[in-house]
Parts: sequence; structure tokens; C-alpha cells
Amino acid sequence: MTQLIIISTYLALLLGLGFFSSKLFRGTSKDYMLASHSIGPFMLLMSLFGTTMTAFALVGSTGESFKEGAGVYGLLASSSGIIHSLCFFVLGVKLWSLGKKHGYTTQIQFFRDRLESDRIGILLFPILVGLIIPYLLIGVMASGTVINSITEGAFTTTFAQYDYGVPPWLASLVICFVVLIYVFFGGMRGTAIANTAQTIVFMILGLITFVIISDKLGGLEESTNKVLAKNPSKMIRSVDPADTESYEDSYKKWTVFAQYEYAKEHKGLELDPADEKAAIAAFPVAGPAGYLKKTRGPAIFAKKAGLLSNLSILDQNLALLIQDNRYEMPSDKGAADERISNSSVMTHHEIMKFPRLPGSDAKGLTLFEDLVGNPNDKLASGKSKWTRKKAKGVFRATNWAPDPPHGMDPWKFLTYFFVPLSVGMFPHLFQHWLTAKSADSFKLAVVAHPIFIMIVWVPCVLLGIWMTSATNPISGAPIIAAHFPPNAVLPAAVKALTGPLMAGLLTAGILAAIMSSLDSQFLCVGTMFTTDIVSHYADKNRFTDKQLITIARVFIVLIVALTYLFSLFEPRRVFTLGVWCFSGFSSLFPLILASLYWKRLTKLGAYAAILAAAISWVYMFADADYAANANYTVFGVMPVATMITLTTIAMIVVSLITPPPSQETLEKFFPQKSDS
Amino acid sequence: MNKNCGKCIIIGLVCLLIILHHDIWNWDNKDPVFGFMPVALAWHAGISIGASLVWYLATRIAWPTFEDDEPISSTTSEDA
Repeated sequence: MTQLIIISTYLALLLGLGFFSSKLFRGTSKDYMLASHSIGPFMLLMSLFGTTMTAFALVGSTGESFKEGAGVYGLLASSSGIIHSLCFFVLGVKLWSLGKKHGYTTQIQFFRDRLESDRIGILLFPILVGLIIPYLLIGVMASGTVINSITEGAFTTTFAQYDYGVPPWLASLVICFVVLIYVFFGGMRGTAIANTAQTIVFMILGLITFVIISDKLGGLEESTNKVLAKNPSKMIRSVDPADTESYEDSYKKWTVFAQYEYAKEHKGLELDPADEKAAIAAFPVAGPAGYLKKTRGPAIFAKKAGLLSNLSILDQNLALLIQDNRYEMPSDKGAADERISNSSVMTHHEIMKFPRLPGSDAKGLTLFEDLVGNPNDKLASGKSKWTRKKAKGVFRATNWAPDPPHGMDPWKFLTYFFVPLSVGMFPHLFQHWLTAKSADSFKLAVVAHPIFIMIVWVPCVLLGIWMTSATNPISGAPIIAAHFPPNAVLPAAVKALTGPLMAGLLTAGILAAIMSSLDSQFLCVGTMFTTDIVSHYADKNRFTDKQLITIARVFIVLIVALTYLFSLFEPRRVFTLGVWCFSGFSSLFPLILASLYWKRLTKLGAYAAILAAAISWVYMFADADYAANANYTVFGVMPVATMITLTTIAMIVVSLITPPPSQETLEKFFPQKSDS
Repeated sequence: MNKNCGKCIIIGLVCLLIILHHDIWNWDNKDPVFGFMPVALAWHAGISIGASLVWYLATRIAWPTFEDDEPISSTTSEDA
């Protein structure tokens, strides 16, 4: 309950900040959308940083390093330090100058002017808004997950199906509501103030929490030594031989377990009760609630006694697929899937090509029914009752095949460099750039951004790695079990290793990071709709400033409602979804770069670039099973590399074979005296 | 320093950062730096610091100027 009170207090304070910033609102749409170009260096740094660091940076980086290891920092954080500042420097300052000179508020206004095409806005608007939605989705989803995880047990009898915590759907709804309120009251100025305050909050609280957690784990060196001993591959970007050996051993044992369970279920195998009892007693590891002893012991006995030797090749393959919840036995066994071999035992790699059946870990709820309840209540053993999440987690960790260790492909690592280019095309960052008081206001953001990224990402990545091997000092059980949902690693670690007060404060910090991105994105979609669609196509003076602000607010609510609905469906890994969203924006990077630095870029060249980006993104996103396939690559490299290549080729070829822009446009955007 | 020369230096340094970023030589190195930090993390934290220094230099020797680059004389948010 303490956590819930702290989170509620923080949200109330944020609303208060929204009311305060509304007092500074000058009442014009320009002030609402661009804070009247009045943001100085410090606030520009904080709002740009707060906007780019979202759930992706905290929840995503911790979860991803838990899965993939220390290389995650190099994948996105250090490259972002180079590329983000490059975008601020090469694109931001120049766009700010053009925006101020020609009165732009949105990217589409700039493109319409530069490309001498009114209709380019019609093509770009749905693409940009469509790409913002998954970006919003990352924040909305993560806020629900974090609040639910951290408030488990806050209620006595209600929300049992959500582990007696705030349901994710309700938490996400409240977060959307709070952000909407302060964006509505304060506009861009309120957003910048809230961003600054929230960025300070999440950086300070993040560092404090990191110090507390590392202390609880026994110190920095002790935490890392555990990883070196148990999961050395998490320290590197290749596979450590010790991990390969450990995995092969675990997988072999797991196949025996899978065959035994299959034989019991489908071949009528039944051990003599005395043999079973002896086998259970002989198995050395009890596991959670003695589950490993009960299941693995008899499996080993059956194998040694030759009771599994009559299983055919097809049976063995079915056993593996069924045990890993990737296949369900059809009622007519003759109708078995053609992909299942009956001539050779399938490798783990072949097994993994079958996607896991959604929701299959819910079997844990039945299996451990007697142990599940309110975590504040006690079991007969004196230990706390299990949450539903724990029951599912124990089921996954004890029933599914161990994850094979895998390294990072150097080509994939190299091509990840293209992902942060997305910053150049984020519509909400464009809007933030235009709020700057002067070009010099950018200097602090350009210089400090890489350091700020380091301050936030290094502790998160370290925490993610440590959690692969951290154990409870009393029971010795892993704090985070295998197959744990990556999105929940950070809140679970915080909850397990800090007291309710710190857990509540850090959650406020995580929410601050999430909301400091959501607010800019909310404001941006409203600005784009009113500026690029409503004002652009309506008669001049058709709407007053007040009406435009109202229209912006209505559109924002519609987009947020749509995003919220999407968030109720099956969640994806925050990191994976983020990378897809960023890849879409990155694929349009050649367009913004060329529009500023290449005179020969033509209207049709731009259309070709946009279509190439959109078609390639949609095709690859669908091919990757809509982000469900987290390891999807094209020609062995990140899909974004192919997208950018296609966009660039289409843009250059079509521009060169079509008439160049008019002299008037060239003089407007490439003045002779320009120093840049 | 000539601004074009400054731009060339910055382009060169950014290219160097990009090359150093692809630290294939650290791929298998699991010896922790300072006793706790994986090399894969420490090296790239260093890249972040290097990037910050390069961008600081960029603001000194390659910063663009604009004809209308003067602060707007109005109350700023920070003033407020």
C-alpha cells in the first residue's frame, strides 16, 4: 500500500505542476504548441533528453540486458550518444533556424514548402501518426506493467486476478489521464516544465535505487562475480564455453523430463509407487515447492530403467514440442503437423521455430493452485503466498526448455547504428527543437546528451545483467527466474531488493521517464492534426486560436484512446516494439537529411522515398510476426539497414530523373550567404 | 580556426567514434573493468564520454551561425 500512496502522491504533484504551468500559458496556439520559442539551454536539454528517454531506456534496457547481456549498451546507448547529438547538431539547429524564419510548427509544413508539394502532407501525416502510436504504446504498456508489479498485495480482497495490485489496464488508463490533463493545461510550456522536473526525478531516484540494490546484492564486485560464475555469456557478446556446456547438460536433462511427461500422458506410463517415492527422494534439488524433485526425479528413474526407450522418433519430437508449449496433440494423432520429423530427433533450433502457444504458462495457475493467493498472506510453511505471476514464472522456469546461449552478431550490432537515426524524424522532437530561444540553446543539449544517456543506461544494463544470477541471500533461490518477462525485470528487482518506500519512489521515477515522453508525443499529434490538416485545409480565419486548441485536444484524446485499446492486447517486449517504431522513423531519415543538404532532392524523389520506407517497413514488420519475432533480421542485419538503403536508392534515383526544384525554393532553403 | 577546417575535424572525429564503437576486439573479453563492469559496457561508456567531448569541440569550432540567431527578447520559461 505504501507504494500505491507514493505513486498517487507523485501523480497528484504532477497534476499540480500542470495547473501551475497553465498560469504561464499565454493563451495563443503558438504558445500552446511552441512555448513562443522561449525555451533556454537547460530546459531544452532536459526536455529533449526526457523525451527521448522513455520506458525503452529504463524498463526496456534492463529487460533486454537481462536477456542479451552487457552488449545491449553498445547496441543503442553509446550509438545514441553519437547519433542523437549529431541529429541535434546537423538537423535540429538548421530546422530551428528555418522554422523560426518561415513560421513552421510541424515537419509537414517544412516538407510542403521545401518539396513544393501540398499533397506530401497527406501522405506523411498518417505515416508519422501511425509510427507515433507504437511509440506511445511502449509507454502506456510499460506504465501498466510497472505499476501492477510494484503494487502487488496492495489490496486485501479486490483485483485477485491481478495479484491484488492495481490492474495494468487501470494503471495505464490513469497514467494517460494524468498526462492528458497536464498537457491540456500547460501545452508545450507545461510539457517542457514537467519534462524537466520529471527528468531530474528519474535520474536522481534511479541512481539512488541503483546504489541500494547493488548494496543489497553484496556490492558491485560481488554482483558481477556471480554473473561470471553462473552466466558468463552475459558479460560478453559471444557465447562462453562454460555456458554452452551448462546449457547442453540442462537441455539433455530437460529432454528426458519431456519424454517422461509425454509417456505418462500419452503412452500410459505409470511408475510403481515405491519406485516413484525412491526416485523423488533421490533427486538432489527440491526447486520451488519441491516441484523439481517431484517431476525430475521420476523422469530420471524412468530413463535409467529403460521405460522411455519405446518412444518412436515422432513421439520424441512431439514430447519436446508439447513440453515446451509449442504444440498441442491433436485429437487425431494421424493429423500431426508435417513439419514434425518422424525420421530424426529435432534439434532445439528446429523446435524453437514453432512459436510458443499464447498463454500456455497459465497452466502454472492450476499446477500451483494451492500456493497462489494474496502475497501478504502466509502459507503453512510460513512463507508468503505466491502471486499469479510467480506461479506462471515457476511453471515456465521448470517446464520449458532452457534458453540456448547466443551471442551478438557483429553485423547486427553494426547495423543497430541506424536505429537512433530515428531521432532526426521524430515529429515531437522537431516540435521541441522549434521551442528553442536561440541556436545557442542547443549547445548544452548537444554536449550533455551522451553523458546523460550514460548516467541512465549504465545502471540499468548492470542491473539487468546482475539479475540473471542474483539469488535470495536466505533461500538461495534466483530472484528472477529463467523465462521471466523482460518488461517486468526492473520492477521485480526493485520490489525484491528494496523496501516499500524505495520501491514506491523508484516507481515514481520510472513513471516520470515514461510520462516525460508521452506528454510530448500527445502534444505533437494534436499539433500536427490542427496545423497540417485542420488549419491547412480550412478557410483562413475559419477557426480561432481557442477553437484550434480544442480541436487539438479532441484529436489527442482520440489517438490516446486508440493507443490504450492496443495496449490491452497481448504485450510485446518493450525493446523489440521500440526498435520497430524507431526503425520506421529512421527509414525516413534520408529524406530529412536530403531536404536540408541536397539541392537536387525533388518532390517525386521524396514521394518515392516515403513509399519505399512505408512499404518496406510494413512488409518486414508483418514478416517479423508484428514484433513477436524478437530476433528478426534481413540478410543477417537489422531490417532498418535494408529500409534505409531502399529509401535512399529510391530517393536518389527518382530525384535525378525528375525536374529539379524551382529556383525560388532553392534560394529559400539554400541561400548563398548561408554559413552552414 | 577556419570553420570549414573545424567541420572536417569534427567529421573525422565522429568517423573515429563510429569505428571505435564497433569494438570487435572486445567481443570475447569477460574480464571486468574496475572489478565489476563488463568490458562491453565500460568500453561503450567510454564511447559516450568521447562523444560528449567531440560534441563539445563541435560547439567550439564548427557551430553554424545564422543571420537571425539572436535571442527573442521575451520572458523565457526559465526566467519564469
